[in-house]
Amino acid sequence: MENTMSITIKHLKLTLGSTEILHDVSISVKAGEIYGLLGPNGAGKTTSIAAALGLMPATSGLIRILGHDPAKEGVELRRRVGVLPDPNGFYDWMTASNYLSFYAGLYGARLSLSEVQKRLAQVGLEPKLGQPIRHFSRGMRQRLGLARALIADPEVLVLDEPTNGLDPRGRREIHDILIGLARDRGVSILLCTHLLDDVERLCSRVGIIVAGRTVAEGAIAELVRTRRGHRHFRLRLDGVSPKAGNREGHVMVLAQEGDWTIVAVDPSVPPEAAWSEILAAGWRVTEIAREGGGLEDLYLDLTDRRAA
Amino acid sequence: MRKNEKASIAMAAGLLLAATSAPPASADAGPISIGISPATTNAASPQMGDRLAFNTVIRNTGDKPIDGLIAWVSLVQIDQGKEQPIDLEDWSAHKAISRASLKPGETISTQWPMRLIQAGHYRVVISAVSREGSSLTPSPFADFVVRSKPVVESSRVLPVALGLPLLIGMSFIGWRRRGRDTG
Amino acid sequence: MTVHATIKAASESPPFRSPGNLNAIGLIARKEAGEIIVSPRGRGWLLAMVGALSGFSLLLVGSTELSLLDNAQVVYDMAGIVIALGALLALVVGSDAFAGEHERGSLTPLLLAPVSRRGILAGKIGGQMVAWAVMFLLSLPYLWAVGSTGQNLAGSILGLALFGTPVVLTFGLFAMGLGARLGNVRTTMMTMLVVLLLAASPLLIGPSLRQSTLGRWFDAVNPFSHAVNALDAMIIDSLGVAAQSIHLAAIVAWLIFALAYAVRQTNRLVR
Repeated sequence: MENTMSITIKHLKLTLGSTEILHDVSISVKAGEIYGLLGPNGAGKTTSIAAALGLMPATSGLIRILGHDPAKEGVELRRRVGVLPDPNGFYDWMTASNYLSFYAGLYGARLSLSEVQKRLAQVGLEPKLGQPIRHFSRGMRQRLGLARALIADPEVLVLDEPTNGLDPRGRREIHDILIGLARDRGVSILLCTHLLDDVERLCSRVGIIVAGRTVAEGAIAELVRTRRGHRHFRLRLDGVSPKAGNREGHVMVLAQEGDWTIVAVDPSVPPEAAWSEILAAGWRVTEIAREGGGLEDLYLDLTDRRAA
Repeated sequence: MRKNEKASIAMAAGLLLAATSAPPASADAGPISIGISPATTNAASPQMGDRLAFNTVIRNTGDKPIDGLIAWVSLVQIDQGKEQPIDLEDWSAHKAISRASLKPGETISTQWPMRLIQAGHYRVVISAVSREGSSLTPSPFADFVVRSKPVVESSRVLPVALGLPLLIGMSFIGWRRRGRDTG
Repeated sequence: MTVHATIKAASESPPFRSPGNLNAIGLIARKEAGEIIVSPRGRGWLLAMVGALSGFSLLLVGSTELSLLDNAQVVYDMAGIVIALGALLALVVGSDAFAGEHERGSLTPLLLAPVSRRGILAGKIGGQMVAWAVMFLLSLPYLWAVGSTGQNLAGSILGLALFGTPVVLTFGLFAMGLGARLGNVRTTMMTMLVVLLLAASPLLIGPSLRQSTLGRWFDAVNPFSHAVNALDAMIIDSLGVAAQSIHLAAIVAWLIFALAYAVRQTNRLVR
């Protein structure tokens, strides 16, 4: 099983000074998947990533990236891993082309200017000629950081808040790039973010860290089902509303709240299939809204609703 | 050894003042006579940094040996308002000679080299005393003028001090423009 | 399994060759040097350095009371000022090398590049050396301007290269090491400035420093003292460079110590 894992962290502990920062972190990222690492601010996500990349010494536990120990084989391993850290700083006096060429050189490549510009265009970055990075917007910086992370065509990509500062269109573009990398090139992606929308859209599996400890890990659907059993929605219906306790296919009516009917959808079927069932049964649905019971509720439950 | 340690040489000054009433060609205080002449290699119009030398001949003009003879060089600046004894520390390493005994009629020929440190009018005098003698024997004066030579030449400093910052500033602007054009 | 096979196939023929450490060191050194020469901040520093040397030279032109002996003194002072300014530049560049990058968030990507910590440090030392080389070259016209009318101009240039270089690098290395440890530019720079002011005090106090036991002890251990004493001997007293071997040995010992400190702190760097 571990052979198919790109990143394996087991029972990681990390102490800085006399303070134990990480108590027991375990995550595993499969080859070619996009894995979401969630947790409130200060939970230890970034520290876990730093330890996984060999930037901070683990006190105990097992860390393997592509089957190698980053503490021992860090230099060679880093050639195969692309990282977008947070915070993500640059040499502001350089142009994007110079910056990318510099990093390409560190990874052992000599890229032509056209190749560099192609790489920039891949992440949707087309700066003005000669424009120094100090004039870049935050979104442009994020894109440049992603271009840097991808400079050596990595097998593993670790991204810390990659869509920070991007507008909705920019986010969607980055999502598409990441989906393409995982699907077409088999890149394993560890996505560390607090944007649950990003996770729901991109990730098949997640790990949730709270106070330096992994409190949940697995497929999103499985975690949600285990935790709540059902996914809850609000429906606005035209005409007669079904009573609480009624069931239609995989949809159960929970309550009536004004114009809204609160229902639970069995997690064994996708919501779209459930809607087909109730429409076929004659329910005249005019509006559907999520009522919790999804990843967000799971996250809030696990983090005690203290830090979203 | 650092410069600017200009201690006054009271003895040299005192001796020189005592000698100002002496006749210019030769001095004879007792059985010692001292003749002084500039070296033939001396520049006619020396400037700061040049080297001068003065030749002296010290003769025992008496009929008895002179024991414990000491002769030394003194230098004073005689520019009006700047009259002062000069500390030879920076001018010469050859400051004195001694001889255990000088027979009657015997002479000592000595060359006193010096490097010219500062511009001005100067007077050099060689003085001698013996162990048994009761007075000082000075040589005649040897005067010389040191022409000024700029220590820091403004014609060299100004172009560098003003030009270099300007040049660097302009080259930076040039690089920046070129960077803008080429990316 | 298919995906995994794809990765395996890709890793068998990596598009990027393993970078030579020397190549990476050279790249980092060039980047650091570029930051000094190309970045607005670096340019500002160089202009400030040149401005200080210009100011000193112009003050000398205004003096009419200089004797020939003062020319040696002037050259000695100019060489001392160049070392002090070089050390100042080195400590600014050194403070920024790790602490500045840490504060700006650019250190983590660098640490995550396939370059060893020692390689990164070596590259940054290379940048320091370029900064000093630029400073040294810029000082030559000034030394010529004030020193060409006297003697020992060549001695001053040789002394500056031989004794100034390790002293400047020592300050740069200590600043790098301290910056790596503290991760804060302001604290690092302030600490190093105090150290530099103390170390460079013999330039102002002169030989009178050696009149007390504490002063003699300080003079014996201070690399800056060794450098200015060697310059004094070579420029003012016209002594040969061979006679300065004790001074050189003391300075090189400090350089080795500073290098060991910087290596240790760089290896202990966390993100």
